[in-house]
Formats: sequence, structure tokens, C-alpha cells
Amino acid sequence: MYLSLNSIHKQFRSGKKETLQDVSFTADKGEFICIVGPSGCGKSTLLNLVAGLDTPTSGEITLDGTRVTGPGADRVVMFQEAALYPWLNVMQNVMFGLKAAGHPKERQMELAEKYLKMVQLWHYKDYPIHQISGGMRQRTALARALALESKLLLMDEPFSALDKQTIHILRAELEQIWEKHKKTILYVTHSVEEAVYFADRVIVMAENPGRIREIVPIPLSRPRNIEDAAFLSLRKRILSGVQLSAWKSAAGEFDREEEWT
Amino acid sequence: MDVKRMKWAESLLFFIGLLLLWQLLYTAACSWLGWAKPYAIPNPIGVLRCIVTLFSDGTLAAAVAGSLLRVLLGFALSVVIGILLGILIVHSGYLERNLKPLILGVQTLPSICWVPFAVLWFGLSEGAIIFVVVMGSAFGIAIAVESCIKNVPPLYIRAARTMGVDSFELYRMVIFPAALPAFVAGLKQGWSFAWRALMSGEVMSASMGLGYTLMVGRDLADINQVMTVMLVIILIGVLIDKWIFGVIERRILTVRGML
Repeated sequence: MYLSLNSIHKQFRSGKKETLQDVSFTADKGEFICIVGPSGCGKSTLLNLVAGLDTPTSGEITLDGTRVTGPGADRVVMFQEAALYPWLNVMQNVMFGLKAAGHPKERQMELAEKYLKMVQLWHYKDYPIHQISGGMRQRTALARALALESKLLLMDEPFSALDKQTIHILRAELEQIWEKHKKTILYVTHSVEEAVYFADRVIVMAENPGRIREIVPIPLSRPRNIEDAAFLSLRKRILSGVQLSAWKSAAGEFDREEEWT
Repeated sequence: MDVKRMKWAESLLFFIGLLLLWQLLYTAACSWLGWAKPYAIPNPIGVLRCIVTLFSDGTLAAAVAGSLLRVLLGFALSVVIGILLGILIVHSGYLERNLKPLILGVQTLPSICWVPFAVLWFGLSEGAIIFVVVMGSAFGIAIAVESCIKNVPPLYIRAARTMGVDSFELYRMVIFPAALPAFVAGLKQGWSFAWRALMSGEVMSASMGLGYTLMVGRDLADINQVMTVMLVIILIGVLIDKWIFGVIERRILTVRGML
């Protein structure tokens, strides 16, 4: 039990209902966990709690035996937007966290080189951020996150702002990197396809209040083919659970007929 | 290259035209029609003669040097005070609710209003003028510092925190560099406030400097000297704005691809 969430509740001051209700799960070292659910199910909130950017109302999160009390370099987050710093070039961005961690300059360069080569961006190391594409920015952000060699990598819909073609390329790249290095990854996405593609286990969430609906193990061999029959049937099964919940919640967003009469 | 030269020629023509028009109006008003007294209206040739005189006897150089020294000192003090005040306001909701509106209010006050205080507290000294400069620009800089820090994208800060960057390091590695373009814009504005405040101070209580030279012109009823000093004040203001702040601003924005 590497990462463990024990009965997590989260209620924001402004909200009436709980954003997260009694969320518990564990992840082993090297496991790839995906969290899917309809928008508003609290999956990003959950990730923020693990990152330490926010604190749970009650419950406990531990990573490798240490309780999470705030943000730290052992739980790096990759966001939907690359969050790269425009005053630094590609290489300097990757070195950012390493510099903060107090590594000597040569070590920073060495690690940055290793991970930029891993995401195949070494050629672009001197480029300013505004001159590279959205996909390259996310790969830079991935290299920056990997370079810290954190215990846990948290990813919050990292590819959802990209075009389809780029998404497929980046998925394959992340898959390969994970296969090689067996990082422990917690990956939030709204794409069930993406979840089935990556995950050892998919955590399906329901909303209002946000809670775990089910945890689905994905026994498919890798690399996975998204057009495979077994893939499609698993995807369909999870999707029906997500959609059911999404329809229910969407119904609450429309006016009820009686309010018009 | 040709387009650039065309623009230069265009500007040159505009200013030559302006000078000719000025001379024409002067001659028309003072000689042909007799509407105005020659001592009440400056003329291009008189101003040119005055520039030569003030330049050759060293008055102008001394005045410019004196004024620049004062404004640099006052501006530097304003920047320090402005940064400290701005950061304090960012970190305290109490100060933001109460002190910030007060600063915004005081900032609208023309700096010449501080001259009586300055003279009472510091006498007719350098201190008095620098006080006016500081009161004229420090508050504007404080507001600029507060807003440039407030406008740093929260994602930059969140990303840094998850990489283990916090407190002082967060300021050094993220907040300051992220706020830099807006900060320089704030400094540029603060500079123009400081320059104006300096003139208020010098006109009221200096014994040398551009403002003082301007007042000497008034006392000697030499309207051409007054005009000359006004032109020098404009020139220095524009030069520093364009060639110092403008260059820094452009460099920062180019690096970030914001230009």
C-alpha cells in the first residue's frame, strides 16, 4: 500500500452538499490509476487534495508512510495547461524544480537532459516557450515533472486541451515512458477511452455528492489497442456508468416544467 | 528600411512645419496685428538663442544634472517604499480593504499640494524637494506593485508549489519574474509622476535645477527662457520614458513572445 486515501470528505464553505463523500482507495507502487467521472464529480478536487494544494475536511492521505499535509516535490502535478514559465526556455523550465530542490548545477543539467531526451525534445532545449506547439509544451511539462523523480505523479487532464492527433501521439509516448519506468501515476480524465488505455485500475466516480461508484481493474495487455473488442467492451461498460451519473446531474441543471406554469 | 526612412522624413516635416507655423503666429500676433506684446510670447529664434546662451554658460547642464540627481534619489526612495507597501497590501486583507482606498485617494492629489508640508518640515532644502517627489510617485508605484503581484496567474504559483517551491523562493523564482512586465509598466508611470512632482518642488523651493531656471526666466520676464526650460523638461521626460523604460519593456516582452 503505497498511496492510501482513507475516508476522505471535502466540503467547501460555499457548497451545501459535500464535494467529496467518503472516498477511500489505495494504490500500489508503480500502479497507473485513472479517475473518471462526469464534470463536477470532484475528481480534480480529489487530485488537489493528494497534491496537498487543498486540505480534506476529514480523512487522511498517506504516501509511502508519510501523511500528506501540504504540497511537496514528492507529488508533482501536471496540469491541463502546461503551466510553463514564459521567462524561461524549455531547458530552464525543466530545471526549475531541480533548482528549487537544491541540486547542484551539473546535476540539474544532467537530469534535464535525460528527461528532455526521454520526451524527445532535446533538440528544442533552447527554444522559448512561445515558439513551441501546445503538444511540445505538454511534453516539456511532462519532462519537468518526471525530472523531479517524485514518488507520485499527479496528472489533471493533461492532454485534454490538445487536438486529437497530438493526443494519440502523447498517449503512446506516456504509455512507453510508464512501461519503462513504472512510475506511480494518478491520472484524472473525463475521457473513458483514455482511462482504459492507461490504467491498471479505473476509479469511476459519481457526483452530487462526489463519491466512488466503482473501481474497475483493466486486465488488458499493453500496449492497448483502442479498437480491440475487449477494449471496447470495457470502455462501454465504464461509459454507461459515467453517463448514467452525468444524465442525472445534467437533469438538475435544466428548469423543471412546473416552474414555467 | 525605406518605410522607416519615410516615417522619419514625415516626422521631420511635421516638426519643421510646426516651427514655421509658430514663427508665423508670433510675427503675425506681435508685429503685423499688434495683438500681443513680444515679451509675453516666445518665438523659435529667441528660444534657439536662449538655448545657446544657457548651454554655453553651463547653466543648462548644471540645472539638468541637479534635477536628475534629485529625481533619481526621490524615485529610488519611491520604488523602495512602493514595493514594501505593495507587498504588505497583497499579504493583508485588512490593509487591502482599508489602506489601499486611502492610497488610491492620496494618489489623486496633485503633488504641488505637498509643497507647504515639505517647506515646513524640511525648510528650503533638497530634502523638501525629494519629499515632494516621493509623495508624488511612491503611492502610484505601491498600487502598481500590488496589482502586478495580484495578476500573476494562480496556475504559475500552484505549479511551483507542487514542485516544492514555497515562501521566499516562490517570490524569487515565480512571483517576481511573472510580475516583471507589469512592474516595469508601473515604474514607467511612477517615473512620469516623479518627474512632474520634481518640477512642482523645484518651482516652489529650489535654488538650482530646471524648475528653478524656469522661475528665473519668469523673474527676468524672459519668456524665451521659460519656454526653453519647458522644452528641456519635455525632452528629458520623453527620452527616459522611451530610451530607458521603453527599451527594458521591449526586451522583457520580446523574450516572452508578448510583442
